[in-house]
Amino acid sequence: MAVTGLGKVRNKRKQEEVEEVEKGPFAGVVDLEMHSEDEAEDEDREGDDASDDGDVDEFPEIDAASDSDEESDEEEEEEEEEEEEEEDDADDLDEEDTLDENSDADSDLHIFPKSKKVVSNITGQTKVVYPEIEPDYDSDSSTEDDPNRVGNIPMHWYDDLPHLGYNINGKRVLRPAKGDELDRFLQTVEDPNSWTTAFDKNTQMDKPLSAEELDIIRRLQAGENPDAEYDPYEPTIEWFTGKGKEEVMPLSSAPEPKRRWLPSKWEKQKIMKIVRAIRQGRIVGSKPSAADKKQQFYAIWNEPPSNQPPPLPAPKPKLPTNSESYNPPEEYLPTEEERKQWENTDPEDRERDYLPHNYSALRLVPAYDQFIKQRFNRQLDLYLAPRIQRVKLNVDPNSLLPKLPSPNSLRPFPNYKSLQFMHTKARVRCLSISPDGAWVASGDESGVISLWEVNVGREVKRWNLGSKVGAIEWCPRLDACFLVAGTEERLHFFIPPNISPAMLTTTQSILAPATLPPTTQSSIKWISTSGAAEDGPILTIELPSASGLSRQLTWHRKGDYLASVSSSETQGSVWMHQISRRHSQAPFKKIKGAVQMVLFHPTKPHFFVATQRYVRLYNLAEQKLLKTLMPGIKWISSMDVHPSGDHIIVGGYDRKLCWFDLELSEKPYKVLRYHSRAIRSLHFHPTYPLFASSSDDGSIQIFHARVYSDLMTDPLIVPLKILRGHDVQEGLGVLQIKWVNKQPWLVSAGADGSVSMWCS
Amino acid sequence: MGRLKQKGKAGAAKTYITRSSAVKKLQCSLADFRRLCILKGIFPREPRHKKRANKGSTAPTSFYYAKDIAYLAHEPVLNKLREHKAFAKKISRALGRGEWSTAKNLEDNKPVYRLDHIIKERYPSFIDAVRDIDDALCMIHLFASLPSNPRVSPALIENCVRLTAEWQLYVMHTRSLRNVFLSIKGVYYQAEIMDQNVTWLVPYQFPQNIPSDVDVRVMLTFLELYQTLLGFVFFKLYTDAGLVYPPPLDSGRDESGAGVGAFNLRPVNPAATGGPTSDTPKVSSKEVRQTIKSITAESSSVPPNDVDIDRTDSFHDAAEEEFVPQASKSDLDVPSSLPTLLSLSSLPKLSSTNIFAPYTFWLSRESSRSIFEFLIRSFGGRIGWPVSSGGGSPFTEDDEAITHVIIDRPTAKGDTAQEQERRRRRKYVQPQWVVDCINAGKILLEDLYAQGKTLPPHLSPFGERDGAYDPTIGLANVENSLIEVDDAELSEDSQEVEDVEMGSELEGDVKSMAALAVATADDPEALRAAELAAEAAGVDFGTFEKEVQKKQKQQKHKGDAVVNGGGEEDMNKILMSKRKRQLYERMKYGEKKRAAEHAKLEEKRTKIEKDRRRKARAS
Repeated sequence: MAVTGLGKVRNKRKQEEVEEVEKGPFAGVVDLEMHSEDEAEDEDREGDDASDDGDVDEFPEIDAASDSDEESDEEEEEEEEEEEEEEDDADDLDEEDTLDENSDADSDLHIFPKSKKVVSNITGQTKVVYPEIEPDYDSDSSTEDDPNRVGNIPMHWYDDLPHLGYNINGKRVLRPAKGDELDRFLQTVEDPNSWTTAFDKNTQMDKPLSAEELDIIRRLQAGENPDAEYDPYEPTIEWFTGKGKEEVMPLSSAPEPKRRWLPSKWEKQKIMKIVRAIRQGRIVGSKPSAADKKQQFYAIWNEPPSNQPPPLPAPKPKLPTNSESYNPPEEYLPTEEERKQWENTDPEDRERDYLPHNYSALRLVPAYDQFIKQRFNRQLDLYLAPRIQRVKLNVDPNSLLPKLPSPNSLRPFPNYKSLQFMHTKARVRCLSISPDGAWVASGDESGVISLWEVNVGREVKRWNLGSKVGAIEWCPRLDACFLVAGTEERLHFFIPPNISPAMLTTTQSILAPATLPPTTQSSIKWISTSGAAEDGPILTIELPSASGLSRQLTWHRKGDYLASVSSSETQGSVWMHQISRRHSQAPFKKIKGAVQMVLFHPTKPHFFVATQRYVRLYNLAEQKLLKTLMPGIKWISSMDVHPSGDHIIVGGYDRKLCWFDLELSEKPYKVLRYHSRAIRSLHFHPTYPLFASSSDDGSIQIFHARVYSDLMTDPLIVPLKILRGHDVQEGLGVLQIKWVNKQPWLVSAGADGSVSMWCS
Repeated sequence: MGRLKQKGKAGAAKTYITRSSAVKKLQCSLADFRRLCILKGIFPREPRHKKRANKGSTAPTSFYYAKDIAYLAHEPVLNKLREHKAFAKKISRALGRGEWSTAKNLEDNKPVYRLDHIIKERYPSFIDAVRDIDDALCMIHLFASLPSNPRVSPALIENCVRLTAEWQLYVMHTRSLRNVFLSIKGVYYQAEIMDQNVTWLVPYQFPQNIPSDVDVRVMLTFLELYQTLLGFVFFKLYTDAGLVYPPPLDSGRDESGAGVGAFNLRPVNPAATGGPTSDTPKVSSKEVRQTIKSITAESSSVPPNDVDIDRTDSFHDAAEEEFVPQASKSDLDVPSSLPTLLSLSSLPKLSSTNIFAPYTFWLSRESSRSIFEFLIRSFGGRIGWPVSSGGGSPFTEDDEAITHVIIDRPTAKGDTAQEQERRRRRKYVQPQWVVDCINAGKILLEDLYAQGKTLPPHLSPFGERDGAYDPTIGLANVENSLIEVDDAELSEDSQEVEDVEMGSELEGDVKSMAALAVATADDPEALRAAELAAEAAGVDFGTFEKEVQKKQKQQKHKGDAVVNGGGEEDMNKILMSKRKRQLYERMKYGEKKRAAEHAKLEEKRTKIEKDRRRKARAS
């Protein structure tokens, strides 16, 4: 590249020379007219050249008298010599001169011949003179230096070849030996001038750059003219202006036009248009922007406010309390575990957004790192949170409780456990109390029925049936005394021991009469064993097979009819048994839903059937449905009728207890939910205004339930007492409760195998 | 038969509108919608039935009143926002094409919205605005302390600083500061403006950076609104106080770091300026006597001559600061002679707003000047500070008038003679003294707060909720229980001794007798009889008495247990309706929680006290 650059420079040089040569005569021609000034200018120019070397002179004012000798003093010695030489043989440029030149060029390692500036004797101008070339053998001094003689050809032709081209003799010029990368690197390290060398394509070698070339590179980098001798600030040469150079004759004889001195009419019209627009306000000048930006405040509240109510102000944040102090009392400081707990909770769940901290001096209080975040949260609350206006209740919570008579004024009710009877083997499913209130029969899941005294809890009799006992019910007849127990697909009738002989005979005559009534068409068998067998049941009713455990038994108040409910889901789960006729029948041909429980109305020939969701009331005499009660319970577990027959309570496995007023509605009058587990059993006391509920949470809740005879007064329900004492086993708590007739006492059977007696 | 009702044509479906449909209706971007909501104070509502409001969908959305959105649709600011959108397009095009002059022209005519009408709408009367400036003040104070960044321009911060200074000047001028609380979050101030309590929180002076999870756009929108609101509120407050708004800023003093002092309050009527000098004797004559009395009673160490000079000095200053409206009497035609806030404020004030009037304070360099200059000056005191805390101090440290030095350093040894002399003359107090004095409304004893002492706890002047634990009155209870504890310990000790002396049978005797006495309850006769019996058995009266007390206590505890335990009271809630029961349970829950908190604090306190006593006894 450098080489091609050099070539160019050389060309330019030649052109300049040509120009110089051409200029010469012209300048000379003009010079003929004006002597002195031109001289001075020339000298000026030379002075300029000299000043490039270092000294700065005043530019135009140089004495006309100053001659070349003076300026030569300022120049370097070499040039001085040259100058002298030039002056010596200025007229003719002879051989010696050129020889000198050549030797000069050799010593300086100049590629191109050294030029000379010479003041022409003819024109008095400076000119650049190159040495003459002698066309003899030695004239080309570069013969030895330049080994490559392939000519000016694109070198890439030989890129893939071992040679570079052909010399003048047609021999191949071989590529000079090139070291490998390491050699090249070592060379760059060793040679201090390596950074000023460049690759020459023609010779295929690295060549050091000459001082001129480096200078050219520097100039190109600096964006200057690459020619060191080019002066861009040459003083202009005035040819036509100045004293004595005026044109005497005008160039044109045309008269000067009017527009040169008259103001323009059209411009005036245009201006007037704008002026008019400004006057009329159609053109408005731009407003001063600075004043526009500045907010001006004024008395905005001086006018009366509008009638509209102001929007509700945002709620204010809470004022800080003692714990937020930088120096709070010591008790506000969190303990280690409180601190840990605070740190472990999520920021949203924290009760306070800061931890109290104690600083002994105000200067020690650091910046609060959550400050901006908390301000931001407040703003989010202001514009993103829905606001609800809440009435703040400033009442004592106890005033919300309903006013009820005190339990103490409603005595007697059971409030303590007086005795406990244990079934050791299994949980007690059922129990029943004799109509005279002296005996309790309790049956457990292992098939044992125990008969024991209410007062002391002494067991007097034990029957072992061998299969699960699902229900026990004592016959309500007072002239006879027996009980019935329901097991898998069988109902067993037992006569308790130690009863009066008269009563025993009536009972035996009822259960095992000497003359059997005529047998009726029924799938159910009545089997009487002889009355002598004291250990076994006196009578057994065999329910149809696959009817399952008889879950519930209930007697009509007269003690002749017995209804049983089996656990099977089939249609024949309810049976009505008539003792006197030894006859059983299924009252319902078809019934919707699984029957959970049945009950006789205490006074009327009505029959309650509780299915899973509904309670239906049938009239047995007319054989029709009277009512369907909808307690809204998912699964009914138990039910009981108030002795008056107008109210029933229904309990469910979903913990709800519904009180129905049969006169009032098919929807419950009251729904209570107070047990934490499913309700298992409900019972109204036959004489006292009490009822109780038991649940799988192991507790028994006693209520006072007063029903008024007039229809206007609502029944009064008062919770009296929670009896706890049964353990919860396998999720089962108190399975059945029964009141003792004529006494405010309660007997409860639990899944833990205990039967408890609760007394007032 | 009436017309068929169509679904979604009435009721909740019509009243509420979801946010996305609101944005669609207003034809603006969500960001613009947010901005509008912030400026107009519109917030989402919670419909009673979300499903009905959202046309059967239960997706989580926020709802607005449809009328609120209709109200937004007529908002001039919305139009301006649309114009701004067009402007943004135009200017980006001009910039993209390199049409600089067009861009400049556009920039000059940039649409700018004003919030004046919004202020008037949101706060129809001035009192509404005053009621709602709490948040605005907090924000202004926060931004005044923030460093500027590309999002928060220096001009904005400068404006916030100016607003804070104006507010502080007003509060100082009207002496309306009431309570101060140094909390870990910052300093809470409460002032009473037009019978409204205005509370604001100022962060401690540290550079803070906006965390990355905070949306600066939202904060800046709020700030925009707050700046305008405060401008109008201050204008009204200043003009009502007969002052020029905005107060002129002395740029020279501002550059020297004078802070609040760089502004000077100027009365509206320039003729009034001549007044104050002639008024000074009137103001001071009575109060001077009063305060001299209090000072002589307070300390005899300070030479009385000094105090006199000091006093007149301070009053002079106070009078200069207050532009007492008597001057306006000279020209009656001026309308400001009507009873304005200014004239009302010049009525004899509560003494508590002037508690620092007789004193001159020097603030040492480690205490924050911005806090204490504001506090002392709003309670009538004079305060000076070293140059390191900023320029504009009215006096230097060696001023003879200085009575108190607010210092927050531990005591250093090796005082020079001059310093010792100063220490003798002046009272060195910790900064908390100033705040506690303000909250107490009187000058407290300085000894508790002397330099280097452990400070008494700093309590919130805003009080706690009713029935919450109160560390001040809780003392009596704690004392009692402590005494009981001590007694119990002592009696145990003594009983052991007795055991050794008398043997066990007598002990049992005493106990049974005491039990008898207690069992017969409050009957004095029975007690007397038991006493006699004990005496006969040879038990001395002291032990008998103790035994009786112990038994009584036990019985009381038992009684409490009977009353509280069992949950029989709660049984009545079986019969409550579901709603009422839930309400009751919530209330009970809250009550229980508060009680537990209270008990926990009390327990901690007893423990702390006990430890302290034990330590004291041991040492």
